[in-house]
Amino acid sequence: MHSQSIDAVPSQRPKNVFKKRSVSISYRISVFFRFVAAIFGGYVFTSVLISLLAILLPLNQLDSVLLTTTLSVFFYSCVFIWVFAVKSLKRVWITILLTTGVQFVILSLIKGWL
Amino acid sequence: MMELLQFSLCFMAFNCFALAKFNHFREVFKKKLTDKQRHSFLATGWITILLSLVLSVLSEGGYGALLFCGYMALSVLMLMILYSFTVSWVKHISILNLSILLLSCFSVMIF
Amino acid sequence: MKENFFRSMTWLHTWVGLLVCWLLFLIFFAGTISFFKDEITYWFEPETHTVTHQDNRLAKQRQQINYAVEQLQNKAADSSSWRIYLPEPRNPLYTYSYAEPKQSGQRRAKFTETYLDPTTNEQIAPPRETKGGYFFYRLHFDLHYIDVRTARWLVCLASLFMLIALITGVVIHKRIFKDMFSFRKNKGSRSWLDAHNVSSVLALPFHIMITYTGLITLIFMVFPYPAQTVYEKGLQQMFNEASPIRARVESSDVPAPLVSMNTILDQVYTKSPDADIGFFFIRDANKESSRVSVYLNTGKEVVDNGAAFLFSGSTGELLAEQGKDWSASARFYDSMTALHAGRLASPLLRWLYFLCGIAGCAMIATGCIMWAKRLRERLKPQQQAGVGLKLVETLNLATLMGLPFATASFFIANRLLPLEMVARADKEILVFFLAWLAMTVLAIISSSKRQWQLAAWLNALVCFAVPLVNAMTTEGNWISYLLTQKWTLFCVDFGFIIAGSLFILQGKKLRTASKKVSTRRFQKPKDLKEQQG
Repeated sequence: MHSQSIDAVPSQRPKNVFKKRSVSISYRISVFFRFVAAIFGGYVFTSVLISLLAILLPLNQLDSVLLTTTLSVFFYSCVFIWVFAVKSLKRVWITILLTTGVQFVILSLIKGWL
Repeated sequence: MMELLQFSLCFMAFNCFALAKFNHFREVFKKKLTDKQRHSFLATGWITILLSLVLSVLSEGGYGALLFCGYMALSVLMLMILYSFTVSWVKHISILNLSILLLSCFSVMIF
Repeated sequence: MKENFFRSMTWLHTWVGLLVCWLLFLIFFAGTISFFKDEITYWFEPETHTVTHQDNRLAKQRQQINYAVEQLQNKAADSSSWRIYLPEPRNPLYTYSYAEPKQSGQRRAKFTETYLDPTTNEQIAPPRETKGGYFFYRLHFDLHYIDVRTARWLVCLASLFMLIALITGVVIHKRIFKDMFSFRKNKGSRSWLDAHNVSSVLALPFHIMITYTGLITLIFMVFPYPAQTVYEKGLQQMFNEASPIRARVESSDVPAPLVSMNTILDQVYTKSPDADIGFFFIRDANKESSRVSVYLNTGKEVVDNGAAFLFSGSTGELLAEQGKDWSASARFYDSMTALHAGRLASPLLRWLYFLCGIAGCAMIATGCIMWAKRLRERLKPQQQAGVGLKLVETLNLATLMGLPFATASFFIANRLLPLEMVARADKEILVFFLAWLAMTVLAIISSSKRQWQLAAWLNALVCFAVPLVNAMTTEGNWISYLLTQKWTLFCVDFGFIIAGSLFILQGKKLRTASKKVSTRRFQKPKDLKEQQG
């Protein structure tokens, strides 16, 4: 019993992959866009987020830059995983674009770019 | 000697964790693990591992914490090999571990 | 919903792992070896093996700096940069060097180095031209032949994927600590799974730490934006503020004599009485703009940029001091680099780092192999393997067996290539890549079990050849190192003997496995215990 229960978990893994993989072209395209969302969307989101944080944090310049930059990887990986955990791809894109947009507007207002 | 003490504590902790598992206990002692034994193994394991961590951090700070991570890796590797390939040695190794622990403990206290 | 989450995480774990696993293996492999970078470089320069560690290292530092400066004044009074490296526990040599005038089109000036015996201050014949351990160090983030920037971006992407794979791996493996000590032998892909789990779990804190901090070392290339938004002049301004010690000053042409080094050293020793000086750099000596920077070894503190002092070389005035009043975030950032590089490690911690690094290599290797095995087991008897599966199998053999092969060949090349060869260091590296190419060709021909076996024998052969060739081409050998207690050299040779024995074990295992006509598929024991340093 002991060993069976262990087997159940991992052996699921490639089966799913395999089943899904052989599904269709549209599935592949959606996977591709998910990766695009995770890598590029996540990157842009993180960049804007940490830039904003660097300005907002009540620390001196150097400290806020060092701290936010150091934490960037953490934010990036959270977004990355979140992209794959959410079911609908549309929601992923909308959320990323919206949040990034809002943060960017705030950032621009503070910096006086607009 | 301090390092040896920390490592043997860490090793003992993981050994206890391993023995607190039904299959490993049965392989070593050919008996069934009772609940009471399981709890005492787990308690000893947690106490020793915390002791090892505290000793490492107290004696070397951040460097000690790094060392502690290394001790954990080494202990788990050794125990994995021990339990998968040479279960019959577990008893002897445990006794050896205990005596090294006591020896290093004494020498740390004396010097 | 929960079930779905686990599924998507499993899926993600498999794919982010696989997309970059070969690149990751290269990074981990080269990175693990570069924990012993200095030791390997020492092995690679047998001309310096006669030098022994000096007694009272610290007490002699003042005299050594003075002596080197005196020599440099005689040899290169108008060079733009002098560097003095004092002996340290990992490297007994005492070295000074000066920059040659920059040629047009050169990005960095070439340095002429002089090696000294620390006990006698006698000059040692310049060692052979070689990159040694530094090659592996650069390889693990510059990937050698590729353009440096592209390579670093690739490495960063791969590390990010690694981090994602680690996190999802922890999420999906629900029983992660439950069967920590179980390894089921001879059970086909299940054994591979166990090996994969054990190698990841046993050094999990290390894996996460090394991947995260690895990204941090290159983070200002990936995310320069906070610095660019906060500082008007961007990164450069931030770096100048972060380490005033390294801030560049325009060099002036006004001559001004260099102050006595004793005035500078007196200030250093007043500030920190038991200073252990690592390097001593002088820029624009004998000019008004002259700067002297003194870097202290960090010891066991978890900091990368330890205490350092910047003096004016013409007046002897202390201009800046580093490491005194660091804020929490600066310390946080700096300790991450320190954790990654492991320069602080004493031999014990260094070996533990190395062990964890090997566990990382084993984790990646078993992951790659497991995936290929799974796909193969799923094939129906009459079904042909697809292009994808074939590619994966070829890449597995080429990378997992090719890198140890190339490494051992690199070590042998160092001893066998003629000493007077032009661009010798590059030729050694060429040998590394040629050997790897050879193994790749072998893998392209076929990636069957027989081919793995052949690769294992070849690897065992080159691994055993290293100490043998070393014994034939240099004064010392494995036994004499043991007798004269040259532990560094002994460990390199011994490491290759161990690696060779493991490859023999693997070859034997493969032979018995391929003889057995059974449903069990077994390819390679989990030991990808590669070279060591």
